[in-house]
Amino acid sequence: MSFTFVEKVCVLGAGSTKYGKLDDSITDITIQASVGAIESAGIDPKKIEAGYISNVFGIADKQVHLGPVIMSNLGIPEKPSLSIESACGSGSVSFREAFANVAAGFYDAVLVAGVEKVTHTGTEWTTTYFSYCSDFFYEGGAGASFPGLFASMARAYLTEFKATEEDLARVAVKNHDNGMLNPKAHLRKKITVDDVMKSAVVASPLKLYDCCPFSDGASAVILCSEKFAKEHSKDYVQVIGSGRGGSPATLQGRDHMTTIPSTKLAAEAAYKMAGITPKDIDFAEVHDCFTIAEVVDTEDLGFFAKGTGVQAVREGKTALNGEIPINPSGGLKAKGHPIGATGVGQVVEVFDQLTGKAGERTVKDAKIGLTHNFGATGASCAVHIFKSV
Amino acid sequence: MSSQKHEFIDAVKAGTVLVKKCTKCGHQHLATVYFCQKCGNKGFENESLPGTGTVATYTIITVPPAGFEKYTPYAWVVMNVDGHDLRVSGFLPKIATPADLPVGTRVRIVGYDDRGIILEKQ
Repeated sequence: MSFTFVEKVCVLGAGSTKYGKLDDSITDITIQASVGAIESAGIDPKKIEAGYISNVFGIADKQVHLGPVIMSNLGIPEKPSLSIESACGSGSVSFREAFANVAAGFYDAVLVAGVEKVTHTGTEWTTTYFSYCSDFFYEGGAGASFPGLFASMARAYLTEFKATEEDLARVAVKNHDNGMLNPKAHLRKKITVDDVMKSAVVASPLKLYDCCPFSDGASAVILCSEKFAKEHSKDYVQVIGSGRGGSPATLQGRDHMTTIPSTKLAAEAAYKMAGITPKDIDFAEVHDCFTIAEVVDTEDLGFFAKGTGVQAVREGKTALNGEIPINPSGGLKAKGHPIGATGVGQVVEVFDQLTGKAGERTVKDAKIGLTHNFGATGASCAVHIFKSV
Repeated sequence: MSSQKHEFIDAVKAGTVLVKKCTKCGHQHLATVYFCQKCGNKGFENESLPGTGTVATYTIITVPPAGFEKYTPYAWVVMNVDGHDLRVSGFLPKIATPADLPVGTRVRIVGYDDRGIILEKQ
């Protein structure tokens, strides 16, 4: 498939609530993040022509059909909106649809907002409802929790390659180190490999500290044409690549358990659109719902050869000051994982990094950043590439 | 539930795996598919495979979803079906530690209930 931009697409502003256990309602936090994005962009909300809202479990906080509620609160009830659900990948999938519409010239400026509010429901509710994101007949219905599905990938990886549970633990330690530098992160706590190894087993070989937390949170960005961006602010970044891919919905449907096909497809499409290779990426926000996922992601995205992702972590290549910093925000692991917001939150981090707003966790001399976000065990995936201007 | 799923479950209850084999390219799928994933053809013939195989990968779950508390801990297993490039996943009760179930262990399908496909060590 070839692609022609009618308009170059830019991220003009970004806002986010803190991620964690939040008291405000699902609508309140979405509005807070959206107002943050509008103020960051420095635009009149009336210039927003459409709203893309990503969310999975609005029903848990008694609000679905979020779009009109958000738009009304922003003073633009007449503007169209929609909600997009693609499990944990909802945010990036929604961002992609917004991107496509701006690139095609349908809209000059749109709001992309993602949100999740689940922590008030408790661990059993969330574990159960999240399992509905799998192909339930084969997986959730047979007792496979999400930690269990990724644990199965971890077991396959540990069996096939020279890797240990301590290697996986190092991913968590690194992301917690980064999260310490992020004021909006859910888990701001330094941990050691020993802490991870001694934490309770959730689904072997994954332990509590291999797993991201259930989080509440909302993130939002303003996406617009380059012309619109130039007219309104100096602080914007360009979206130079966008790719999507799919994988068999079940693990049993895949030839290999140590790779996620949709990541490879989405990355290939995004690199092609951007006209660059993995070597050109300065840092990446990747989908580390579990420590094993970050290792698999960094291989599937082409940063490291298959089976060597753990070696890269051991050598510090993915640390904040490493060769290619992975998850400078702290990632899903430490920053938190409000599932409908996560993909948008990654874009917020890249925007902050590339416009000099990332404070202590700034990746030195970064010009090109990548976001990678997927739903379920990677059944749906989107990759985006951004460049500073 | 669709008739395809009922057929699949009936086969599992008999300890077998019902496979839809593409009449055009021969690609094998689990019973719940409507177009061939390889060639797009809509014609399939049923093939019954013995429900035996080896553990491709697995996990032992200690924090279960609702309905599975009374079975915890248990293993959830992806099984390589003997002699075919095909995998089936299912529930394997009474497994407490990874030492009980190394990758490659021989397992077989023994039934279907509210836990889905039930597997057992051979």
